[in-house]
Amino acid sequence: MPLETPARIVRALVSRGYNAEREAVTLIAGSDDPGNTLARVVETVPDDALRITADHVREVLASAPAADPSGTASQSAAASDPSVSGAVSGDSTTHAGQNTPSEAKGSPTGRNTDQSVRSLDIANDMTGQSTGTGEYDDFVKVFRDRYAKLSKMLRGRVNHRPTKALSNMSGGEDAELIGLVDDVRSTKSGHWIIDLEDTTGTFPCLVMKDKGIASYVDDLLLDECIAVEGTLSGDGGILFVDSMHFPDVPRSYRPNTADRHVQAALISDVHVGSQEFMADAWNRFAEWLHTEEAEHIEYLLIAGDMVEGVGIYPNQDEELDVIDIYDQYEVFSEHLKSVPGDIDIVMIPGNHDAVRLAEPQPGFDDELRDIMSVHDAQITSNPSMVTLEGVKILMYHGVSLDEVIAELPSEKASYDEPHKAMYQLLKKRHVAPQFGGHTRLAPEELDYLVMEDVPDIFHTGHVHKLGWGKYHNVLAVNSGCWQAQTDFQKSVNIDPDSGYAPIVDLDTLNMTVRKFS
Amino acid sequence: MREEDTQYFARIEDRLDEAFDLARAAKSTGYDPKTDVEIPVAKDMADRVENILGIDGVAERVRELEGEMSREEAALELVTDFVDGNVGDYDSREGKVEGAVRTAVALLTEGVVAAPIEGIDRVEILENDDGTEFVNVYYAGPIRSAGGTAQALSVLVADYARSLLGIDEYKARTDEVERYVEEINLYDKETGLQYSPKDKETRFIAENMPIMLDGEATGDEEVSGFRDLERVDTNSARGGMCLVMAEGIALKAPKIQRYTRQLDEVEWPWLQDLIDGTIGKDDDTDEGSDEGADDESATESEAGVEDDTEAESGGDADADGPDGSVRVDPATKFLRDLIAGRPVFGHPSAPGGFRLRYGRARNHGFATAGVHPATMHIVDDFIATGTQIKTERPGKAGGVVPVDSIDGPLVRLANGDVRRIDDPEEAKELQNGVEKIIDLGEYLVNFGEFVENNHPLAPASYVFEWWIQDFEETDANVQALRDDPTIDLEDPTVETALSWATAFDAPLHPKFTYLWHDISVAEFDALTDAVADGELVAAEVDGGTSAPLEADNEPEHGEEGTLVLERTPAIRETLEHLLVEHRQTDETLRVPIWRPLARTLGLSDDRERTWSMEDLSIRAREWDDGDNAIEAVNEVAPFTVRERAPTRIGNRMGRPEKSERRDLSPAVHTLFPIGEAGGSQRNVGDAARHRGESGRRGEISVRIGQRKCPDCGAFGFKAKCSNCGGHTEPHYECDDCGSVVEPDESGRVYCDRCEWEVESATWQEIDLNAEFRDALERVGEREASFDILKGVKGLTSANKTPEPIEKGILRAKHDVSSFKDGTVRYDMTDLPVTAVRPEELDVTADHFRELGYETDIDGELLRFDDQLVELKVQDIVLSTGAAEHMMQTAHFVDDLLDQFYGVERFYEIEDRDDLIGELVFGMAPHTSAAVVGRVVGFTTAAVGYAHPYFHAAKRRNCDGDEDCVMLLMDGLLNFSKEYLPDKRGGQMDAPLVMSSRIDPSEIDDEAHNMDIVRQYPKEFYEATLRMEDPDDWEDEVTIAEEYLGTDREYTGFDHTHDTTDIAAGPDLSAYKTLGSMMDKMDAQLFLARKLRAVDETDVAERVIEYHFLPDLIGNLRAFSRQETRCLDCGEKYRRMPLTGECRECGGRVNLTVHQGSVNKYMDTAIQVAEEFDCRDYTKQRLEVLETKLESIFENDKNKQSGIADFM
Repeated sequence: MPLETPARIVRALVSRGYNAEREAVTLIAGSDDPGNTLARVVETVPDDALRITADHVREVLASAPAADPSGTASQSAAASDPSVSGAVSGDSTTHAGQNTPSEAKGSPTGRNTDQSVRSLDIANDMTGQSTGTGEYDDFVKVFRDRYAKLSKMLRGRVNHRPTKALSNMSGGEDAELIGLVDDVRSTKSGHWIIDLEDTTGTFPCLVMKDKGIASYVDDLLLDECIAVEGTLSGDGGILFVDSMHFPDVPRSYRPNTADRHVQAALISDVHVGSQEFMADAWNRFAEWLHTEEAEHIEYLLIAGDMVEGVGIYPNQDEELDVIDIYDQYEVFSEHLKSVPGDIDIVMIPGNHDAVRLAEPQPGFDDELRDIMSVHDAQITSNPSMVTLEGVKILMYHGVSLDEVIAELPSEKASYDEPHKAMYQLLKKRHVAPQFGGHTRLAPEELDYLVMEDVPDIFHTGHVHKLGWGKYHNVLAVNSGCWQAQTDFQKSVNIDPDSGYAPIVDLDTLNMTVRKFS
Repeated sequence: MREEDTQYFARIEDRLDEAFDLARAAKSTGYDPKTDVEIPVAKDMADRVENILGIDGVAERVRELEGEMSREEAALELVTDFVDGNVGDYDSREGKVEGAVRTAVALLTEGVVAAPIEGIDRVEILENDDGTEFVNVYYAGPIRSAGGTAQALSVLVADYARSLLGIDEYKARTDEVERYVEEINLYDKETGLQYSPKDKETRFIAENMPIMLDGEATGDEEVSGFRDLERVDTNSARGGMCLVMAEGIALKAPKIQRYTRQLDEVEWPWLQDLIDGTIGKDDDTDEGSDEGADDESATESEAGVEDDTEAESGGDADADGPDGSVRVDPATKFLRDLIAGRPVFGHPSAPGGFRLRYGRARNHGFATAGVHPATMHIVDDFIATGTQIKTERPGKAGGVVPVDSIDGPLVRLANGDVRRIDDPEEAKELQNGVEKIIDLGEYLVNFGEFVENNHPLAPASYVFEWWIQDFEETDANVQALRDDPTIDLEDPTVETALSWATAFDAPLHPKFTYLWHDISVAEFDALTDAVADGELVAAEVDGGTSAPLEADNEPEHGEEGTLVLERTPAIRETLEHLLVEHRQTDETLRVPIWRPLARTLGLSDDRERTWSMEDLSIRAREWDDGDNAIEAVNEVAPFTVRERAPTRIGNRMGRPEKSERRDLSPAVHTLFPIGEAGGSQRNVGDAARHRGESGRRGEISVRIGQRKCPDCGAFGFKAKCSNCGGHTEPHYECDDCGSVVEPDESGRVYCDRCEWEVESATWQEIDLNAEFRDALERVGEREASFDILKGVKGLTSANKTPEPIEKGILRAKHDVSSFKDGTVRYDMTDLPVTAVRPEELDVTADHFRELGYETDIDGELLRFDDQLVELKVQDIVLSTGAAEHMMQTAHFVDDLLDQFYGVERFYEIEDRDDLIGELVFGMAPHTSAAVVGRVVGFTTAAVGYAHPYFHAAKRRNCDGDEDCVMLLMDGLLNFSKEYLPDKRGGQMDAPLVMSSRIDPSEIDDEAHNMDIVRQYPKEFYEATLRMEDPDDWEDEVTIAEEYLGTDREYTGFDHTHDTTDIAAGPDLSAYKTLGSMMDKMDAQLFLARKLRAVDETDVAERVIEYHFLPDLIGNLRAFSRQETRCLDCGEKYRRMPLTGECRECGGRVNLTVHQGSVNKYMDTAIQVAEEFDCRDYTKQRLEVLETKLESIFENDKNKQSGIADFM
């Protein structure tokens, strides 16, 4: 295997049972014959060493038999390269972060690592809390919980009458109703009938095609919760809808901000293990994090798909760079190590990760956590609410975006503007409303997919497109990915945004995007 | 036509007329929707085309054109007629194009399949961006049944009509072009295409196509890229369009080009680029052109693409020429999508697999594979007559037929015997003692199969048919030897065979020719030493121990004794790979027939070694890199030795054979609607007793067609007016405005005022109890005469016309059930047979003489039951089950005639033999034309044997396809178009027309490629070694095509191989007799271990990859987005109701996908992966999946605890 890239060197070392310092890797990569250098380093390190340091490598390079002077020259040249010097500084912190706790977390970049000013809190984590056993009752419970939580948000706006009571009312009366959308169909003459369901039954609601609210019908997803006001028909059998309400984010919502200037990087879809994983872009990103420019970045959030996974689609093994799923996480972990150790990291799983696909997805199991223990990264379930210094960030991988984009008209949601699809979810206050389609549901006692609190930032990934914008003052960010265009994406006309890192100022919720590809 | 053929058809038609007369009398009573028989008889193809299309005048014009030109040309010629308005009554331009396109498709499919009516929805004229007009053809899924050529030509016809009408070409927008690309990929992934065009091909076609191809959505999956296009009204894949584009245009480009060249008005110059593959270099997968081209031809030939197969291996053969034997390249496609429980019999071209032998047995040809019945038993009974196998070559699949005149398998038994088994009985006895199946025996493929698949001839085995022709060329007086009763040319003694080889310079007899090409030169050398060092012992010394093996061969070795070799693993394997019969003990290998082996090894009579490796030429030593000893053999042996089995054919089990009654699910006795009143069983009796909402017993509310009596004006739902006995007509009253509408000429019923189609169906309250009692009384039956009478929930036909309940009562009485069109059907796997013995059909020569058979195949008078007789084209053999079912149907029909219609009985059948000579309909799925057949006998095999032309007339070949038979009178009486579902595909599978006699020129031309000779010439066998093009041999080996249109077109189907019994081997495949899927899979893996030609790890991997994993993943996905259903009333809910209980009835609602069905294969899959040492990747996938299952189905807070928790 040619060892031209750091990623490959890391992998080769991992396969031999070693971790390595960044600089050590850089040194090996820069040597004349990386393969040979690596072999000799491995031979010469002390038996008890688990981690290859730069010193180990230098020793080997120095003792190189008949070392070519020009080779040595290029070596030193490489060492004086600014990016490498950045790496040196970063490395020392990484090292410290590995072995010693916080007091060693000082950073030459001037990053504030004072834990007392940082705060990181996670809510809605269901890892280890899964109580569902796949019974019918579990499903009923989760939908009842959804109805309870979402209808509560609408109670202030309408005076709900249970559907059972509605069917006993006489014709012509005004009525208001909150329910989950059970069915939407059009009549012969082009009007819409929406069946709304509450815990007592269902009731048909008619939206006339010429009413203003008819345009809302296009945006409806099955199983979302809405409220309607209207008048009962003459025979009392159907409700003529005059207005429609969504749980939504209040227009006047005032987001929380941090008290100091501090930034968070919001990324996702790293896809380590894929042949298309962009190791170079990632390395540039990691190196950049060591620079002064990035000194205010104290948090890194990763919204799923750390690795490419196994068996995600047929014959995937032919397109994998790392075939072993555990090795994929090992390599991912190595890449995570190149991130400064004084950055706090939060990760949730995505659909390529080795956890259940059905949502909510619990955080990784112990075996995978052990592999990814670097930097004490926090691992939580998908979705989770992460509060950074007061700013609430809803992290969700984003599988439901496919469905929102497929169901809704393209001006409301498209792959080119993924944040608009996210607006829809915010409006519905649920990350994956529709049951029975693309999105898979694992029944739990509670509906973890409801947005009980309004987030200040909504962070998703999955569709590999970069897009951001504000909806009722909530910042919606779909981070791009670290995987170049795959054959499959090519075949379906998806051009991914690869190698971008959106950076958010937590004190202002302003966002900038850095490109590393 | 010969006199006897005329008589034969006259006999059939006489009986048909008799049946028609009676059926007409019955129908005229007016109990049915129509007062006449609804299946018209088509005399010829032109008739069928007209009947299926319902366009008057087509038949006449087709007949005119047929004499002058080919069918394809006629289709194009008819375009002019449509455009000029000479044929068809179309005013609009759309109509003219549509008529021409439908007619073309009907013509090219011989008016048999449903594609012309079901596969083309409509034609539209739309506007280009530049304001010009273009034609849009709207295809539907059933266009599939037309086949690639007809699909492609339909586009050409549309284009021709377009240019005659002066309409402009379609100018595709860029997003439409890209949509085609994405959509075809999506369809290929979802449904699969025979040929998957490359993106650039699709793009190129879409850009150049002068007609817009459009169609109905056929799947649920949607494209994700090019959505919501203005001129494409669906985001789903349009299956019909995809088929036409990929399997039509892209695949059949050379064929279309032939016709575009003949037409001045149509120019498709771009076809040339498509054919040459010189499409502009754009984006994707343009790797190095050479490499790319190779890949392409390899995949295409694997895919069995007709026009490209030549590329397959010819080149390689030349390249390898000087240094090795000619071989075909292994092809792996048949292994794809391996299914648990259906074993692999041989990996691609693997030694130990089936050995290709050329020839046609009498029950063979037309996509079948001849296998020795002993092999069928040895593979643990997995192969039975009619079992489908997916095969490496020459085609893709075939139905297995038993042929016992070829080699059986060679096995090693637990007791150490390595022996060939040529007796099915013996195979059955030894089945359990088989330790290893070293060789599967021979695999008979007829020459025509290679013609049909356009596959280069693969090197032939050296077999008796070839050897005898070699022998005849020597100085030997072969005729004298033939006449010598003491000599069996096919099965000579060792001495005779060796003397022929040495004295006459003929190659060694195949019986003693071993598979030298399967051992290396080094192994050959080692074996020579071993045999030279061996010791001779008298056979008797062994006493009883080795008796079976040696006693079998008594006559030849008698005085010579047995050769005993020292047992080493290498020598043992060499002997096995050569297929030398012997016996293995712990210390020794005992070879009873050793002299041909010794002589071939170049040993002297005293087994002195006479050569050393240095004596061999470099060529011989390095032949096939030293892996093939055949050249070495020929240098040291005193005679010529041919390659015994150069071509091995891998295959696996496809579908099991079938012989089953066709019941709807649930079974239906009468097409009478009873709603929910009959419960889930749809029990009419229960429904009649049910108290509905009205509280009155048996009163049900159903949607049913309203009919009006023209005589007395009374309304009702029955065909016969209950008031005056007149015959009623459907009554169409507009729901909105109440006006009464009459159907127009095309059968459409349209209310002009309300602008919609009007249906005759209305909700009606029916007193089912009274109807049921009346019906029982009318036919004089009581409820006790049947177990249960099942109706249907609702009707799906346009007018919702119900059947008389009486028919159901009589069906229930005789335990037969109705198909959606009112007929009773029985399904059987199709197999061909061209000559039969009355004996094997369980009938007598007398029966056959009564049927008009006079002589046997040699022209001798037919006197004995075991004489071989050539089968007539419309004669069929029923499986035992089919015969029983036909008898029940005959009883039902007789009762119906007598008790319901009040006319005389027709069949009066008492025992099975009474069925002989009776007429049936044969009909294949996706077609709309029935073919009349005549029953001549019965077989215990679970298949329907018939003349290949009979199958071809139904447009079936015999590659494991199945279709149905119906009893003639049942079809005439009970079929009605009125019952057919009013949806896409509803007209398929219904006998809209029948062919009373088969015209060989008007059947699927695949059958014309069957060879019909008694012997293939020697030169043919030699040509196979050069892998020549089969087309070059059509003149030497006559195929049926030769006699089309002559007096001989119905006769003279000779065969090269006889077989004792066309139903030999197991009656049913083990796949059907084994119980659970697990049992089947265990048996499959057990067999994989036994078979030398099979790599069991690969089988295990594939089973996991293609069966278990998709099942697990699919079920897991289904689980997390499932529907639920009420256990009490059956109501379905898309999502779990918030009420928890059923909103309709308050009953218990439950999941439709449970944990048990999701993880049923999990443990097995893990175990199999472990046991068969599958890849880590596979194991990890299972591991990850198991974690996912646990995560969903286990409570984190209440995990199953181990004993450790309590310590």
